[in-house]
Amino acid sequence: MFLAAFTSSGPREVPLDATLLSRLMQKDVSAFEQLYDRHSRLVYGLVLRILQQASTSEEVVQDVFLQLWRNADQYDSSRGPFVPWLCTMARNRALDHLRLKSERQRRREDQPEELPSVVVAPDYEKALDEKRRAERVRALMASLTPQQKKAIELAYFEGLSHSEIAATLKEPLGTVKSWIRNGLLRLKEGLQATT
Amino acid sequence: MKNCDQFRELIEAYALGALDPEDRAALEAHLAAGCPDCAKAVEEARWLVCQLAYTAPEATPSDMLKGRLMQTVRAEAQSERKPRMLPTKNAIPSWLWVGVAALLVFSVYSAWTTRRLQNEIREANERAATLGIEHGRVLEQLADAKREAMIMMDPTSRKIALWGEHAHPETLEAKWHSQLGVCIVGDKVPMPSANHVLQVWFIPKKEGAKPMPSAMVRPDANGKLMLYVSAPPESMDDTKAIAITEEPAGGSGWPTMPILWSGKVT
Ligand SMILES: [Zn+2]
Repeated sequence: MFLAAFTSSGPREVPLDATLLSRLMQKDVSAFEQLYDRHSRLVYGLVLRILQQASTSEEVVQDVFLQLWRNADQYDSSRGPFVPWLCTMARNRALDHLRLKSERQRRREDQPEELPSVVVAPDYEKALDEKRRAERVRALMASLTPQQKKAIELAYFEGLSHSEIAATLKEPLGTVKSWIRNGLLRLKEGLQATT
Repeated sequence: MKNCDQFRELIEAYALGALDPEDRAALEAHLAAGCPDCAKAVEEARWLVCQLAYTAPEATPSDMLKGRLMQTVRAEAQSERKPRMLPTKNAIPSWLWVGVAALLVFSVYSAWTTRRLQNEIREANERAATLGIEHGRVLEQLADAKREAMIMMDPTSRKIALWGEHAHPETLEAKWHSQLGVCIVGDKVPMPSANHVLQVWFIPKKEGAKPMPSAMVRPDANGKLMLYVSAPPESMDDTKAIAITEEPAGGSGWPTMPILWSGKVT
């Protein structure tokens, strides 16, 4: 009868991120550890892609997860999915690191940082598991034109603006703008069509 | 003055952070003026941009990073969470504060528990001496040790026998105090395999509810085990049972191995 409690709930499920986050707010260390084990590869991969340097990337990832631990209450799980929010925080921090080189700016980094606001999933959001989602997004990115892909990557991973990308690629500003927009719209359509 | 359609063209790049200052200022002014359609489009675009994270190849950070993080987090949990969990002084009978170690003589695992608590208290005192500034935290660690002792000793704690399955005939004992948390102690506990831990699960009473993962521990070299859960996921009355399984180091979100010990809470 007691064993039934383990087996009656169908397929083996892990607790939802939201469940772990609510436990995190009560300073539950094992909830933190589970969230770290679940998402650190994605977050570290993202930060490493931006900073291209392992030790600095680990510093940033450490910052990100400590922010999560200390300020989990700033994240409202009822409003949006956790992973996009976590990735936004990681990307912001990594790009800050990339940009801020002067001593004065470095000092500012030590101060606690505002967490990003919640990322709301659109209506077309499909409940894909993380692995399938990653595969889907990678496949869609690979389907963009090389120029669209390059321009989006320069913006996302290097934090460049329209005009900086135009200068880097030596292409007209208007062209760069439409590469980025059309590329992202194509990505959106692809995700909308995903079942 | 641009209309909404023209702003729409900026929204994806805005979410991406790629707008040049002039465009960004214009769009932000439009959003600040309260355009619900554009605001919704920005939200959608922000989500879309977040998906780009998946295009970075996943990479595994070093174990050192996790070690550092967990160390920090555990230390902060001790200094931040416990004081909140601590009931007001009046809720704790004063006799419990006195002679805790002496009372522990009556405990099944008294000798070991007492020694462990004495060591903890001694170490905490030493740290307090060397690190004046950390005094508050050390006092909280002391309070932790005392709290474990109190859970074991308080007559109002509910005693729960955790019966071993065939491979692990020894019985563990849990004591659940309605305010202080749960202590689980065991003796002659077989060592889990390498890179595995014993993980505690709380099985809620609610129909169909899943086992809630909780603390992890490895017994010491002599097979002694003591584990303290300050904040069980559900109250005693809403919990059907406690169980322990062996799980990979770091624990699992769902039991992946057979139950080694289990006991009904009510
Ligand atoms: Zn508008």
